[in-house]
Amino acid sequence: MPQTPPFSPSINTSIEATASSQQLSSANNLTDKVQASQTAISAILTKVESVVLGKPKECRLALACILAQGHLLIEDLPGMGKTTLSHVLAVTLGLSYQRSQFTNDLLPADVLGFSIFDKATNRFELHKGPIFNQVVLADEINRASPKTQSALLEAMAEHRVSIDGETHELPTPFFVIATQNPLFHAGTYPLPESQLDRFMMRLSLGFPDLKAEKKILLSSTQRTNQKLNTEEFISESSALKHNNNEHDAVISPDELMTMQEAVSQISVSNDVLEYIIALCQVSRRAYVNTENTYQSEAQSDISCKPLSPRASKAILQAAKAMAFIDNRDYVLPDDVQSVFYVVCQHRLEMQPSQQFGSSNASSVANKILSSVDVLNPLGHV
Amino acid sequence: MMANKKVQSRFNAKTKTTSKKNAKAADSTDTLLKNKFCLNNKHAWLLWLCQCLNIGMIAVELSTWMLSVITLSLLWQAILLNKKQNLDKNKALASGLFSKSKLATIALGLFALLGCIAIALTARQVGLLISMLHLLCFSYALKAFEIKARGDFYQLILLGIFVLASSLIFKQDLAFSLLTIVLLIINLAVLLQYFSIEKRFVSDIKVIVILLGQSTVLAVVLFLVFPRLSPFWQMPTNKSAETGLSDSVKPGDIANLTRSTKLAFRADFDQQELPAYSTLYWRAMVLEDYDGKQWTRNKSKDKTATSLDLNEEIIYNQDTSSLSPLNYEITVAPSFQKYLFALAPAVLVNENQQSTETLNIKAKDDYTFMSKKVITQAKSYQLNSYLWLPLSLELSAESKQRNLAYPKGSNPKLEQLAITLKNDYQKPKARAQAVLNIINQQGYAYTLQPPLLSDNSLDQFFFDTKSGFCVHYASSFTFIMRAAGIPARMVTGYLGGEYNGSTDQESGVKTGHLSIYQYDAHAWSEIWVEDKGWIRIDPTGAVDPERVNSGWSNELLQQQSSLNNDLLSLYQVKNIEWLNTLRLQFDALDYQWTRWVIGFTAERQYDLLKSWFGNMASWKLALIIAVSLVVSMLILLLLLHFINRTKTKSQNVALWQILYNQALNRLAKQGIDKPISMTVNDFAKHIREQYPELAISFTRLTVSYNMLCYKDLSVEQKGKQISLMKQQYKDFKQTLNSNNKS
Repeated sequence: MPQTPPFSPSINTSIEATASSQQLSSANNLTDKVQASQTAISAILTKVESVVLGKPKECRLALACILAQGHLLIEDLPGMGKTTLSHVLAVTLGLSYQRSQFTNDLLPADVLGFSIFDKATNRFELHKGPIFNQVVLADEINRASPKTQSALLEAMAEHRVSIDGETHELPTPFFVIATQNPLFHAGTYPLPESQLDRFMMRLSLGFPDLKAEKKILLSSTQRTNQKLNTEEFISESSALKHNNNEHDAVISPDELMTMQEAVSQISVSNDVLEYIIALCQVSRRAYVNTENTYQSEAQSDISCKPLSPRASKAILQAAKAMAFIDNRDYVLPDDVQSVFYVVCQHRLEMQPSQQFGSSNASSVANKILSSVDVLNPLGHV
Repeated sequence: MMANKKVQSRFNAKTKTTSKKNAKAADSTDTLLKNKFCLNNKHAWLLWLCQCLNIGMIAVELSTWMLSVITLSLLWQAILLNKKQNLDKNKALASGLFSKSKLATIALGLFALLGCIAIALTARQVGLLISMLHLLCFSYALKAFEIKARGDFYQLILLGIFVLASSLIFKQDLAFSLLTIVLLIINLAVLLQYFSIEKRFVSDIKVIVILLGQSTVLAVVLFLVFPRLSPFWQMPTNKSAETGLSDSVKPGDIANLTRSTKLAFRADFDQQELPAYSTLYWRAMVLEDYDGKQWTRNKSKDKTATSLDLNEEIIYNQDTSSLSPLNYEITVAPSFQKYLFALAPAVLVNENQQSTETLNIKAKDDYTFMSKKVITQAKSYQLNSYLWLPLSLELSAESKQRNLAYPKGSNPKLEQLAITLKNDYQKPKARAQAVLNIINQQGYAYTLQPPLLSDNSLDQFFFDTKSGFCVHYASSFTFIMRAAGIPARMVTGYLGGEYNGSTDQESGVKTGHLSIYQYDAHAWSEIWVEDKGWIRIDPTGAVDPERVNSGWSNELLQQQSSLNNDLLSLYQVKNIEWLNTLRLQFDALDYQWTRWVIGFTAERQYDLLKSWFGNMASWKLALIIAVSLVVSMLILLLLLHFINRTKTKSQNVALWQILYNQALNRLAKQGIDKPISMTVNDFAKHIREQYPELAISFTRLTVSYNMLCYKDLSVEQKGKQISLMKQQYKDFKQTLNSNNKS
């Protein structure tokens, strides 16, 4: 089986084809796995992109986040399609999901569930909350009080919850897809860093372009005729459990887990590892004492929070998933670059974000990216 | 060895850096590097072939039984290899030839033990050197069966190089040395195969040749200045290899020698007029004792070797102002004997007294020269010959008696003839001439295949068979002379030689040398005449003047060639002109090699060093050199250590990175720069958009770079991809260049 060349899809395909004709074919188990998943991947992407119009890049990133077994945070202004994206993801991946609308009076028990004494059986019975789904849609998560937010914490990190001193395992796969409004909006509580860190990616959808918005407007008029299932879900009220409809699901949860397994097996070369480490080290420079040898004048203007090893792990995982989506069984620096902003920006920001929309060129993450040499990340002589 | 280690460390580092994969892969590669030693099939066969070649180089010197044991074990190895190859075609050959069965290990151990005992038992018979060689080769053949770790593999290669080096003990001529160097390169390339990424034997050989070339500088320095500390630092002597004349001659002896095309010695006349062929009687030994069967050298003469002064006395008593002596340098091939060659009368040229003393040559009063030690290495010395001077005008009574003695009644017919001659002719010279006339006129024949003589009877030869070669004629002649009352003796040596050189057309200056081969061996007579001294008389000249005047006639050569393949080919080669020229040219090269490389003895080294540092006691000089060498080596080691440390710190740059960076540099020269944070794919995209003419070649290069740098490739795939990338880089360069031109 010929190896598809390692290129991002944006590359001119004809030249790519001639270039790849010179390469050697290699076939192994992993390559087969990656190849086998490609039709499913493209089907998922087609479906998601048909709903979230004009945002192919964000759709890929969101899918990558799921494949990398990470939790996803979508931050944007109201009405930008955050909820739509999360819904369509859950549905196309065939996962059971439940949406919770987070409000400032939402209690932890509303999310986790609670025990009620059943007179008939004479014992306490657990009423499982929305968290006992494969996908939890936490809508407007930063409107809830910190207490409720932290209730999610154990669930996200440990994949289990404690209710009344009893520990309950959560279903697998388990994801939290949260949406939030920018912090300067009324009635928002900033998410604590600890919780932010648990989200692998923070996506912003941003405004659609002219063409896409025209489509959105057109499709909203046709919506009633087409009866798109996903659209229906959105219109339904919160805290309702949906069983996934096989008609809309592109893959089953089992298939998803196979893909996740394949993603974790994707090979990472030493150079890519060093690249990731180098990126993280730049973020740590300001934090580490001046005696640190990595200090240099050029990077002194970057002020940010240092990236934790969890963050570097997240970069790696996300980059693997991007490679997988790109039909490759190895990670390129391109993958790292494409996920770096979404994985790290929310971990790097000193101030709560005042920005929204598409990635900002002057953002800390981009500064860090532009300061590291891809070919020689650790600055070897 | 230095180069060897360099290669190892270099490629160790390379494999280490390239083997860092993700966690699982890294695990497996680490175990591959540390514990599990794997040879793939191709490599195992290469190793086997290399073993065969190394053994082949020394096979002639080994005893038959040892050679057959080694051959058997090599065959056995080949069978096992073949079996293993069929078992798992794709899998690497792991942990030696044997599976870890205990029985096999024990059997191998027992076999080795038995072999060692056998070697020890035969040691007395074959001598220490050969039995040591047996041990070396035996272990070399058996070691291949227990390659379990990398260390074993190294040992095997090292043993192979030792075997190769020891083959030089027996032969040191140019062709053989070149062959050894080629084999050394092959050995090292087999070693490199294990580490190289590309796994292509030819490119490995290239690397080895480059490395060897680099290390030549060090080798030359060591060759020039490293003290030759005898007795440790000398060639082991091999007694069984005596070649050339022996110190006793009986009729039929030299015939064997005349079938050998081996080199005896070379004489370099250094731009002087070459003497006529018929005067080139290279005296080696004077045989004065005759017991009726064979002529032997008089042993008592060894002790009275104060003859250097004697020689000088003779020479300086004469008026030599009008004639300048014939000056020449002789380079003797290792004969494992002591005698040397000269055109009598000759004196050693002493450029400096010390050097002559260390030359270990003594001149004897019969105008021959002897080495004090057995000649195991090429040895050279300079002589001045005064061909017009007589030899020993005075003969002591003792000497006279010795040169008149013969066992009475051993050859009655010849004695009878001698008495007749004595009565017929008064003058000694006339008597000699009478014998020569008989030989010339009475149907004597010169042949190298004479009929056998019973009991070495000269009578039988002279009166019945009447055919023989130099020894027959010389010994008969000497016998008759002695019986006729003229002091006479037998001299053995070489006659003539093959001139190899060119004459400069303008100045007429001749440059070249004479090569004297074993087939030039000859025997002749000397008679002592009052007031004339010893006169050389060659009775062979009376029967076959051509032999004496210009060397072997073609008929004789043809006759001889039926007996010996070497001579056959020589005969054929001599008749094809260009081949003969080629042969002569190679001979000239070989002469230079022997003269400057093999002949670079401790004495020459001393002379050289003295010309550099001036006069100094030899031990002081050696000490200074040794100390300075050790110090400089230490400095070199330290330097290497530091360079390596900084290098390992800065990670070894892989080949693909070098190639890609070179491509980037070329683009940068065109004003196309890659921002550091731009990935190679994005840069390729940029190139495609901005410089479409470079698009295809650069994209190919980029794809290869990505594959090599980031993809988890197997070693073979990596090798193939690297060669592909090299090609792609060349293409890219070409497109870039042609682009610039247009």
